[in-house]
Amino acid sequence: MNGFIVVETMYLSLNHIPILKNINLSLDRHQFVSVVGPNGSGKTTLGKAITGIIKHNQGHIYLNDKNISLLSLAEIGRTIGYLFQNPEKQIFAPKVIEELSFALKYKKVDQKIIEEKTIEMLHLFDLYHLKDATTFFLSQGEKQRLAIASVLLNEPEYLILDEPTTGLDIKRRKELSQLIDKLKTKTGILSISHDKEFINRHSERIITMKDGCIIDDKKC
Amino acid sequence: MIKNVDPRTKLASVICISTLAIIFQNPLILMAVLFAGVFLAKIFGANLLMLIKRIRHILFLFIVIIFIQSLFVKTGTVLIGFENIRILTSEGLIRGIGYLMRILIILISGAILSTCDMRKLIQGLIQMKLPYDIAFMTSLGIKFLPLFVEEIKDTMIAIQLRGIDINQLSLRERLEIVSYLFTPIIAGTLNKSKKLSLSVECRGFRAYDRRTSITKLKMSFTDYLMISSSLLFSVGLIMIDKILV
Ligand SMILES: Nc1ncnc2c1ncn2[C@@H]1O[C@H](COP(=O)(O)OP(=O)(O)OP(=O)(O)O)[C@@H](O)[C@H]1O
Ligand SMILES: [Mg+2]
Repeated sequence: MNGFIVVETMYLSLNHIPILKNINLSLDRHQFVSVVGPNGSGKTTLGKAITGIIKHNQGHIYLNDKNISLLSLAEIGRTIGYLFQNPEKQIFAPKVIEELSFALKYKKVDQKIIEEKTIEMLHLFDLYHLKDATTFFLSQGEKQRLAIASVLLNEPEYLILDEPTTGLDIKRRKELSQLIDKLKTKTGILSISHDKEFINRHSERIITMKDGCIIDDKKC
Repeated sequence: MIKNVDPRTKLASVICISTLAIIFQNPLILMAVLFAGVFLAKIFGANLLMLIKRIRHILFLFIVIIFIQSLFVKTGTVLIGFENIRILTSEGLIRGIGYLMRILIILISGAILSTCDMRKLIQGLIQMKLPYDIAFMTSLGIKFLPLFVEEIKDTMIAIQLRGIDINQLSLRERLEIVSYLFTPIIAGTLNKSKKLSLSVECRGFRAYDRRTSITKLKMSFTDYLMISSSLLFSVGLIMIDKILV
């Protein structure tokens, strides 16, 4: 086996409806891969299966040569950073700053380092003026930025981003793209997106899905 | 199993058995009610196995409660105890078993009701002349419950994906995590209900007093038969209970 994430003949059903069929995939540790396809083709489900959020029914998924069925969500989460398609699904702290520092706090990181890192992220994502704001009242784009920032703060080795540019304005899209340029050198990224410009700019490989199958997989 | 039972029939039989469960003390009669409940669950196609699976995690809690309940009953012959201290008496044991059966009957009632299509159950309530507003609110409440569960599951996933192993945390930290579950639930619910009330207003909810409905429920002969036999069974059991006492 090579490839950081390997999916072998994976099938997945939800409520007895087959959603993903015969998925074979190998993802490298340093590559930007885009997943494209129409609504309902199973892109989000694929991302969730790889992250272990949804259990697959058949086949195997390996993360760094370890079968993900044997790993806990926390163990997977330390390696893979997953951005939900809907940022509201992953924001749970009442305050912006708490949301960012949450994981570091429970990993017993030194208070000073936590502060440094959170403040750096707040600036990076233009959220500093909102640091004491209630997450509930943030605008959609602000929520999206907060969600991305909290995922990145964990410094994952691999990123799965489900529609990262949705809800962002032109300026913030550009900034996210610049950030991803920097990240790409050390982190593998699987990006699910409908954003043509974003896909064309970053992709080194494009996977096309339709009706739960991978119908095309090409290098760029 | 009988198909297409009117939700009102299910409601009537559930009201019968749960009322009986509450008024009776005698464990033998409760046993009869429990059997009736299991029988009803069978003919209405309720999934009791599923019920057992769901409650198995909290089952021990029931047992503990029953045990504690029975400790407080001091009458009857002593089963466990030293010298003057009575720990468990025969009466206490009987009382405990009674409680257990009551809980089971109530759970079975829930399982029977959950076989109803909620839309139809609400329609049944409306046709029983319940004001539409109240029926509508009830149906909304029922729809919100699974959303709660969903919200909690999502938050738990999000927390774990940050690399936090809940099983390895101290008790204090775990409680803290539980407090984090509240924000998304409260925020999510407020948000959804706000949107919902707006959307309902926009579509002219309560604009007219008279409402018509596509679904109309009609009782069949089997329904009337089942309702009357539930009633007969209840009255019969009440009489037997009177005679035994
Ligand atoms: N819990 C579920 N039960 C049944 N079917 C489901 C469930 N969740 C998702 N689906 C179905 O699975 C299919 C794939 O969904 P998925 O969210 O992966 O699509 P997607 O490619 O991400 O679409 P989009 O571009 O809209 O985000 C859809 O047809 C959806 O209806
Ligand atoms: Mg999707």
